[in-house]
Amino acid sequence: MTRPLEGIRILDFTHVLAGPFATRILGDMGADVVKINSADRALGVQDPAHPYYLMWNRNKRALALDMSKEESRRICRELCEKADIVIDNFSVGVLDRWGVGYDSTSKVNSNVIYVQMSGMGDDGPWSDFVTYAPTIHALSGLTHLTGVSGREDIGIGFSYNDHQAGLHGAVSILAALEARRRTGRGQRIDMSQFEVGVNFAGPTLLDYFASGNAARPTGNQLPYDEVAPHACYPCAGASSDAVEDERWVAIVCMTDEHWHALKAVMGNPQWASESIYNSAAGRVANIKDLDLNIAKWTGKLEAEQVMVDCQRAGVPAGIVQNAIDLVENDPQLRHSGFLHTIETSNAGETVTYADRLPLHFHGTPCDVYEKVRGVGADNFAILQDWLDMPEEEIKNAHDAGLLT
Amino acid sequence: MKEVEGALAGLHILDLTDERGIYGAKLLADLGADMVRPEPPGGDPLRNRGPHLDGVDEGVSSLWHAFFASNRRFFSVDPATQPGVLQIAKLVDRADIVLSCDGTFAIEAANLEEAKKRRPELVVIDVTSFGPEGPWSDFLAPDLIAGALGGFCATTGDVDTPPLKGFGELNFMVSGAYTAIAALTALYHVRQEGHGQQVDVSVHECIASCLEHVFMCYWYDELMPTTTPVLSRRGSVHWSGAYVVMAAADGSIMVTPAPDFDAQLSWLIQEDAHEDLLDEKYTDPENYPATVKRFMEVLHKWVATQNVEQFFFEAQSRHSPYGWVLPIEKVAENPQLQARDWWVPYKAGARETLGPGAPYRFSETPWSMGSYGTPGADSESVLADIGWQDTP
Repeated sequence: MTRPLEGIRILDFTHVLAGPFATRILGDMGADVVKINSADRALGVQDPAHPYYLMWNRNKRALALDMSKEESRRICRELCEKADIVIDNFSVGVLDRWGVGYDSTSKVNSNVIYVQMSGMGDDGPWSDFVTYAPTIHALSGLTHLTGVSGREDIGIGFSYNDHQAGLHGAVSILAALEARRRTGRGQRIDMSQFEVGVNFAGPTLLDYFASGNAARPTGNQLPYDEVAPHACYPCAGASSDAVEDERWVAIVCMTDEHWHALKAVMGNPQWASESIYNSAAGRVANIKDLDLNIAKWTGKLEAEQVMVDCQRAGVPAGIVQNAIDLVENDPQLRHSGFLHTIETSNAGETVTYADRLPLHFHGTPCDVYEKVRGVGADNFAILQDWLDMPEEEIKNAHDAGLLT
Repeated sequence: MKEVEGALAGLHILDLTDERGIYGAKLLADLGADMVRPEPPGGDPLRNRGPHLDGVDEGVSSLWHAFFASNRRFFSVDPATQPGVLQIAKLVDRADIVLSCDGTFAIEAANLEEAKKRRPELVVIDVTSFGPEGPWSDFLAPDLIAGALGGFCATTGDVDTPPLKGFGELNFMVSGAYTAIAALTALYHVRQEGHGQQVDVSVHECIASCLEHVFMCYWYDELMPTTTPVLSRRGSVHWSGAYVVMAAADGSIMVTPAPDFDAQLSWLIQEDAHEDLLDEKYTDPENYPATVKRFMEVLHKWVATQNVEQFFFEAQSRHSPYGWVLPIEKVAENPQLQARDWWVPYKAGARETLGPGAPYRFSETPWSMGSYGTPGADSESVLADIGWQDTP
């Protein structure tokens, strides 16, 4: 059975995380993603043997092009003319300088969709700024807002915005494909990863512009709604004093019904029967004591037991899962086969792993997972498939050092 | 002159989502799809989510709802009545795509199993917290629980704080973005082959797929400088150790010597702040972890003496990817966003304010932001679209 995006050709100049994540998703769904790399650039996280590269570049074919050579750029131009999608996250203007920018390619391939996933967008006083996800988190307010009162140095503990930029890149490409069906033409998409990041504080920014309220971090409490308890609580069972071995459970009572059910799970302790806790407003007003009392209860119990007892009683609760929990203990991920080893037929090859696409298509399942390919591993196949280039010509290009 | 249309103009979508999928519905609506969101006669319960506009009633005070339910046509319907059931069925029959979450308003009346049989070209996106089956499929998971079980919280926070969630709905914005991807991909397949299908979206898997280093460190710990399968929460310190928020003299700034350590070293030498970084033990690639550690120690001391604003612009002029930690009021004044005319008007009832613009710019099919309506504001036009008359 075919995958839903089979037949779509994507020329992928992206690097690091955001762009490769966008094309990984599209490749998982069957698009023919041709990843451009070169021996000179295959260093650090661009090295196909680096774990970071292994994470984001499965299900892609690998073409090596030495873009410092005019003849390589000519091959690249021909590939662009055959592409449905050309995507990059270089600084603005790099593809234009190589002669493969949107303006030149669209003259001969009016169907083509270009996506430029730059840090700051095409124009503006900061358009030359260099950014990685931690930069975007800082500038967009995500770092300042994600933390506890009085701290502006915590932020999100991983490159959230890189993933989201990748997801939004994929959304934009798929929307442009639908627009192309209707209009008969491709177009160019200017995506600023900064603007993607600022977007996540949408309601908070509306509030600032409307009422002048400048939000501040609220820890695990909801910033605007009266909900309590709504926190992570320490549990028993830590295997050592190290932070990574701590055990925590999150508990949320979105409604008074949740609260009454939680009280029953806790054995209806005396403190919980006090009238100050009868309403959400009362629980929020007395949040310190509430959290201390709940923490005393959870502190004697295993996190999993708290979670299961709460969920059985209809109270939202969940273990704070780390990598070991997710990979070794999570029964739900095990049930769906979410984490798995990518099969290889080559003995001695490094074992690689994958998390599955979290979308389950009933009619066109996406269950193909191909290993990351080395630099230029698919040169012959790609140039034959996309350009009908004769084998001899490919061999000559290879011998001339164009495909390295 | 014909108005320029959005990328998804002409596409009919029925929005039966809750918090888990509503951001995906927003993405599609803002791209020009005609999206109808049914709500009970008393209004969508999500209209109660804060923050709220002071002094505004008529059900349009929720800025949360104004953001996430943008560009919708609001349709008031009572699915407990026979006319309501018929109206929902007609909306399903008019839709190219139905976005749904388990247990949401009008989902039973929509009877999507029957609709799929009736209309094989229909795309149905079904967002659940953990998938339709499995040991946790009945678990309840608002954003904090989803983030705890999905892996977000274990990596966020510091050694002296609990594990933390992100501010707002960051977990559900991930599942929302995946929801939009699922819908558009299934639509593409309809356009090619004529067959619709259902796509299941598991919020739990969506979050777990967006954890950067978490699985990488576990799977490849022997190849990583971290050499441990689990990295604890540790404030802003990146898994590589080479990005961290530091205190400048008058503010905070995210500082990194990556990716060009030589350029950072040259700058430190110019400022005579390099201390012992020229020692050959810090130029040996075999000593990379020790080099990063020493760089960060030196940078901490140096950064503490700097004026944050000048320092940030100096770093960026040198192509160092530093990031000034900005509070929300500074984000609102950002010159880059202003220069790109990014903020757009949001109209909530009689009030107008500014809000986020497009997360992407299409050269030919622009993104746009329309008015935000009261509960059931568009019922009349929706009923006209489905050909509804008082006596069906």
